Amino acid sequence: MLRTSFPFILSILFSLGMLAQNNAISKAEKLTYTASYNMSGILTDIAQVTMETNEVKTSKSTLLRLKCTAVTYSKWDNFFKIRDLYESYVNPNTLTPYLYNRDVNEGSYFKNMKYTFSNNTVKSVMKKKKDYIENKTLTIHTGTKDIVSTLYYMRLTDFKKISVGTQKTFTILFDNEEIKGSFTYLGKETITTAIGKKECYKLAIGTSEANVLQGKNNNLLWLTADENKIIVYGKFKIPVGTGELKIKSASGLKN
Amino acid sequence: MKKALTILAIIASVLAIIFAVLPISNFAVFPAVIAIIFGLAAYYLSKRTGEVKKIIQFSFILTSLALAISTYKAYFTKTEVANTEVLDAKETQFEEEAIDELENLDIDTNENTDVNIEQ
Repeated sequence: MLRTSFPFILSILFSLGMLAQNNAISKAEKLTYTASYNMSGILTDIAQVTMETNEVKTSKSTLLRLKCTAVTYSKWDNFFKIRDLYESYVNPNTLTPYLYNRDVNEGSYFKNMKYTFSNNTVKSVMKKKKDYIENKTLTIHTGTKDIVSTLYYMRLTDFKKISVGTQKTFTILFDNEEIKGSFTYLGKETITTAIGKKECYKLAIGTSEANVLQGKNNNLLWLTADENKIIVYGKFKIPVGTGELKIKSASGLKN
Repeated sequence: MKKALTILAIIASVLAIIFAVLPISNFAVFPAVIAIIFGLAAYYLSKRTGEVKKIIQFSFILTSLALAISTYKAYFTKTEVANTEVLDAKETQFEEEAIDELENLDIDTNENTDVNIEQ
């Protein structure tokens, strides 16, 4: 019995192992987007969002740095200046985070948040203006990730193996709290983008935080239906209106 | 009625000008359309009574100017990012600090946990 079932079990384990492999994200990828605000059908470009990866070497290991920045276009800088930096240092294969850094500079608002992950505990350091520092040790569930690694981890999903309507959930650590994020696979759709006409996986995203993303199926993401699964377009309904994220350029892709 | 429409047309055209010079120049079209509607209504009523006040024509000039500015900005202003030196320096500084911190962590990059996403 064991002899006959063993190769079968082994093949399942192997295929699960294959699922874990990062076949979508390269170590030198750069995706640039334009974030726009939509008011009654009139779009205004607000900021440039960049998602970049690079390899980081320590004496013991090689990690992947996932970096996201949001910078307002110069015409907005005197009005409302945004210089946000989000980064996560992760396992290059499983995208398990080890260190997360969030540095928010929006107008006169400043906040820096750092998480150091160690199994099911996270050491959190929050800094605000006027030398305010708050240290905390948090207990998290297995598989909880930061927002940046979750965004990249979505790209490791094998959409060929899931059916339309499938919902997947993630646990995200944000502002020292674990929140639930999810996406529902809505099927394939072909859209025209700045990098060409692309067949995409269309996803509806949501969170347990009702005040962040509003409505059901109002927040959508389009990921290219190829091995890279890069985000090419996003539509979001937020408390102050609707926003869009459109790809401008993509370089250093893995496939 | 005529007076109220004239005042509303002037207010809307001034708003259109303000929007047109700000980064939200695309939104100038909303007060501009309102200014045109109120301005035309005020013009029509004034013409019926025989005297068209110069202020109505002035609101049309302001509205046209606002639309010209916002159209020019929509087609000819380049959207680009500037002054990112501080952010660039921060990115480098954070990476250096992160490497120092990561050196002290017990990292096993061969681990293969949390493979499957919860369904």
